[in-house]
Amino acid sequence: MSKMAEYDGPILEIDKLSISFFTRRHEIPAVMDFSVSVQPGEAVGLVGESGCGKSTVALGVMQDLGKNGRIVGGNIRFKGRDLAEMSADELRDIRGNEIAMIYQEPMASLNPAMKIGRQLMEVPMIHEGLGEKEAYDRALEVVTDVRLPDPERMLQAYPHQLSGGQQQRIVIAMALMSKPALLILDEPTTALDVTVEAAVVELVRDLGKKYGTSMLFISHNLGLILETCDRLCVMYSGEAVERGSISEVFDDMQHPYTQALFRSIPLPGADKNAHPLVAIPGNFPLPHERPQGCNFGPRCDYFEPGRCDQGEIEMSPVAGNDRHATRCLKHLEIDWAAPITLAEQKEKTQPGKVVLQVDNLKKYYEVAANALFGGGAKRVVKANETLSFAARESETLAIVGESGCGKSTFAKVLMGLETATEGEILLDGNNIEQTAIEDRDTRTISDVQMVFQNPFDTLNPSMTVGRQIIRALEVFDFGSSDQDRKQRMLELLDLVKLPRAFANRMPRQLSGGQKQRVGIARAFSGGARIVVADEPVSALDVSVQAAVTDLLMEIQRKEKTTLLFISHDLSIVRYLSDRVMVMYLGHVVELGDTDQVFSPPYHPYTEALLSAVPIADTSVEKQHIVLEGDIPSAMDPPSGCPFQTRCRWKSEVPGGLCETTVPPTREMQAGHQIKCHLSDEMLARMSPVITVAAE
Amino acid sequence: MDPLSWTGQIAFLNPVLALGLGLLGLSVLAWIGLSSLLPENRAITPSGAGLSLPTGPRELSGLVVRLAFLLTAAVIAAYLVLGLALGTGAGIIGAIAQRLLPVWIALVLLFALSIRFKQRLGLYGKLFDSPIGMIGFGLVMFWVFTGIFGAFDLIITHDPLAQLSGLKNKVPGTPLPRPEDGDFQWYLLGGDNLARDVFSRMVKGAWEVVKIAPLATLFAFMAGITLGLPAGYFGGRIDTILSFLANLILAFPVILLFYLLVTPEIVQTGLPQYMAAVLFAFPLIFFTVLINARFRTQPQQNRLWLSVVLIPLVWGYFSLINQTGSKINFLPQSLDLFNIPGGILVVFVSVVFVNSPTVFRIVRGLTMDIKTRDYVAAAQTRGERPWYIMLWEVLPNARGPLIVDFCLRIGYTTILLGTLGFFGLGLPPESPDWGSTINEGRKLLAIYLHPALPPAFALLSLVLGLNLLADGLREESMKD
Ligand SMILES: Nc1ncnc2c1ncn2[C@@H]1O[C@H](COP(=O)(O)OP(=O)(O)OP(=O)(O)O)[C@@H](O)[C@H]1O
Ligand code: SF4
Ligand code: SF4
Ligand SMILES: [Mg+2]
Repeated sequence: MSKMAEYDGPILEIDKLSISFFTRRHEIPAVMDFSVSVQPGEAVGLVGESGCGKSTVALGVMQDLGKNGRIVGGNIRFKGRDLAEMSADELRDIRGNEIAMIYQEPMASLNPAMKIGRQLMEVPMIHEGLGEKEAYDRALEVVTDVRLPDPERMLQAYPHQLSGGQQQRIVIAMALMSKPALLILDEPTTALDVTVEAAVVELVRDLGKKYGTSMLFISHNLGLILETCDRLCVMYSGEAVERGSISEVFDDMQHPYTQALFRSIPLPGADKNAHPLVAIPGNFPLPHERPQGCNFGPRCDYFEPGRCDQGEIEMSPVAGNDRHATRCLKHLEIDWAAPITLAEQKEKTQPGKVVLQVDNLKKYYEVAANALFGGGAKRVVKANETLSFAARESETLAIVGESGCGKSTFAKVLMGLETATEGEILLDGNNIEQTAIEDRDTRTISDVQMVFQNPFDTLNPSMTVGRQIIRALEVFDFGSSDQDRKQRMLELLDLVKLPRAFANRMPRQLSGGQKQRVGIARAFSGGARIVVADEPVSALDVSVQAAVTDLLMEIQRKEKTTLLFISHDLSIVRYLSDRVMVMYLGHVVELGDTDQVFSPPYHPYTEALLSAVPIADTSVEKQHIVLEGDIPSAMDPPSGCPFQTRCRWKSEVPGGLCETTVPPTREMQAGHQIKCHLSDEMLARMSPVITVAAE
Repeated sequence: MDPLSWTGQIAFLNPVLALGLGLLGLSVLAWIGLSSLLPENRAITPSGAGLSLPTGPRELSGLVVRLAFLLTAAVIAAYLVLGLALGTGAGIIGAIAQRLLPVWIALVLLFALSIRFKQRLGLYGKLFDSPIGMIGFGLVMFWVFTGIFGAFDLIITHDPLAQLSGLKNKVPGTPLPRPEDGDFQWYLLGGDNLARDVFSRMVKGAWEVVKIAPLATLFAFMAGITLGLPAGYFGGRIDTILSFLANLILAFPVILLFYLLVTPEIVQTGLPQYMAAVLFAFPLIFFTVLINARFRTQPQQNRLWLSVVLIPLVWGYFSLINQTGSKINFLPQSLDLFNIPGGILVVFVSVVFVNSPTVFRIVRGLTMDIKTRDYVAAAQTRGERPWYIMLWEVLPNARGPLIVDFCLRIGYTTILLGTLGFFGLGLPPESPDWGSTINEGRKLLAIYLHPALPPAFALLSLVLGLNLLADGLREESMKD
């Protein structure tokens, strides 16, 4: 079937859409009174925390709500036609041909048993009846367009032979095969690493321009939206709360939630005293427990009883701005320019004596080349290569790097879950690198504890919260009676600012942020002196991240803990750490004070990493550095410098040194070291990646 | 006394039932046909429009199916209620409904209480949200109560072993030729080949099943869990060896194994007893490790709990495997609490032996999945010992699939018991268990159908109930 006739109104118009899911017990209103329109060639962003209904809107547009989901009000018009009035055949045609959707998990959209070329060719062959030859040419063209190396070989590959970033590019290519009028991207880069994400985002933006495709870009990351979209719509708890162009919403926001959201994310480049993080109090309401009146009411600073909690609040246009609307009764009264009221500034405690000393630590894994029969040559995976650093009391050391760089391996060796291959780890001057956890004494174990990444996984789902903390206390030999331990458990709950009544709750009755707090309480239960936090907030919603981060820092101040903060999010690292260690493929490529690492001279990888961080601030100028390719596998690392396959400075080093010799670690200033062959002059020529435009 | 007809005074319900069943069958056929032919109706129903009558033949046929089902269910309920009131006046159905009165009371109480408190009852409470699960649970509990009350001689009308002359192979509803005072006047479901009451034997048979099947399955689970956890958790060589053994047992022909175990020569060597000694040791190991892991850091509590739990367990274990006059006979007579008849021991051993490898594989798979969770890593980093992690961190979180499998497996075990009884293995020949009864009835099946049918139907409905229950549990546990 051919495309719909030429049409020049909005591509997509959603008008007062309400979608509910029906369970046996109750109706769950997932989206209420949601309106947005997408003009031809326009990219519209949809931001909001998890559970606010972003994906439901997307599925509603695809008319794919599953068995128990139903549109209960409003309508969706695609090129002026109501989707609800179309027959199943028409819909099927539109879905494959005119609207394409890209999901978070690339493998979900690819058939693992079919060659990529065939999967791509099928699209136009089925929908447009194209011949084999034309389909192949089209496939080759889009694969070239999504900037995959060696397109012809790619078409012959199976999905599992590609890396995550390449798979996502193929999914995008597949979406583009039918030259759709509308592309819906549901968190397309969440599963990818920062530098890969930056490249995919750039690709999406350029392709949008080239093909003139309209886009609905769903993300929880305001920075990404800023980089990709023309307009955006902020959602909260099933409703659109603010809608407008990027510059209007970013610089002239008219809804308290949008404001709170911006205040709760750290911005690199901004000073942490001038721009402190302000957490949004409270939790996101569940769909069937929404308050009367304004959904954001209970968490809003400007809440006015008797006014904000009465009846429905309508979306109202903001005078003077074009197509800018907000769902706040008081937006005309609020002084949006008022400075943030600063909480009392807490004095940072000075780092004390060295607690942890790591020297030339190496961790190699041996993997059998032939997994089935175990025999044959063994291959070595170098997960950690000559790690050296020291961490002091009450210091925060951030360990930064993308997946596979060896952060978790280091954490495992430190915790004693693995033993080191070479080198040493000194805890208060005692070697622990070869002592597995079973052989460590209780004191050592309780001294080094860990906070885990995934809040939904960190607590045992079938044990009460209190019991889990008490168990940790038992293992750490705390107190002499159950009574002592119970008392201490309650104090720990106070410490992480959870109500004592939570002791009897099961983990599933807690929100993600609350679970993470319990995880923190458990880690600190034995008076830990070193806490490894493995991406403790990356899986949390933006609005609770700030609260958990602040809590962690507050406990650290109180307990004088050494915090090893593992993260790939440079914004938060900049915000809370004293020193930063950047890792790539098992090597420490840069180590220094936060200010040293975040300002030139950089290691070329740090430079790229900084440039890849999406920043939600229109006044920030970024240098544009896009890394080609993916991170090499640790099984088969490149020769010489680990970063040489993607480095843009490599040509500045004479004699091909980068490809043959591992660079030495060089001391730049006191405490700042870089592992690179670049000459001092070259390094000195680097300019800052992030600059804040003068106001 | 006159012979009882099937329905007596409530015969007027029969045409209604026939109508309901016919309608149900036809409408289901129509519904299947229509929904595969017609497209789905995607019309938007504005919220708050209230209950609107369905439009289109597809929706209409769905409605008819529901109505026909309700009609049939109502008629069946009417049979039971009227039967309860009229007793023998309502024929055989009425008499049976009346005999089962304690079962009805128990069922109503159980359901009323459970539904009343279902919010607080966790997974069990959620079962009452699923119609399938409720039907399954109802069927299962029907037989459980029948078995229990039957064991107290409440429901049965005659001694299941007594033979009354003149009632050999008589049809259902035949009156006793020479009733004595206080005797029930009829053989409700007729007499069998040896002139025993089929109804009473069926009820007594329920007890045999209810008593053996869950217990045997429980032992199989203990063995499977105790071995599956370390195999999945440690992996490597332990896993390879244990998995190989499990596969070996699974590849062994079950019936052959049973025949071997009951062969007198083999029994003489004491093999079944040695096997029992090994298989029944697993619960001991399980509980010892469970308690020890939990109270590792508090030696005093540990000793207390270990003694409270283990002393009775060990005593029970010894009494179980100890048998005077057999190979294992070391316990003084006075200390031997109970003796398990040799046949039943063999049934137990074989059922546990055959079921545990499958349980082992399920547990192993679940463990391999769960051990990658962060809470397991958290336990490791606070220095917990492997057995604590397996039993307190992994096992409780594997319970959903295990409970479902437990229900299904009781069903298999019931069938297995039936099969064993059918082949005359294990249980004593005059035992009223369903398998043996079906086997006896089979011999004269061409002439007299009635002695074989009730136990066969009982077996079918119990296993069906267990499967439905498992389905309901699975469905509800996924919803969390
Ligand atoms: N047990 C193991 N056997 C073999 N290789 C391993 C093992 N554990 C880790 N590796 C390898 O070591 C390298 C470093 O892995 P590690 O898990 O430390 O990365 P990471 O930086 O924590 O990544 P992510 O952010 O995705 O968690 C990877 O290439 C990984 O495949
Ligand atoms: S309506 Fe009231 S409660 Fe809601 S966002 Fe505006 S000021 Fe806050
Ligand atoms: S050593 Fe060479 S390849 Fe490596 S980071 Fe420096 S310039 Fe780039
Ligand atoms: Mg990791």
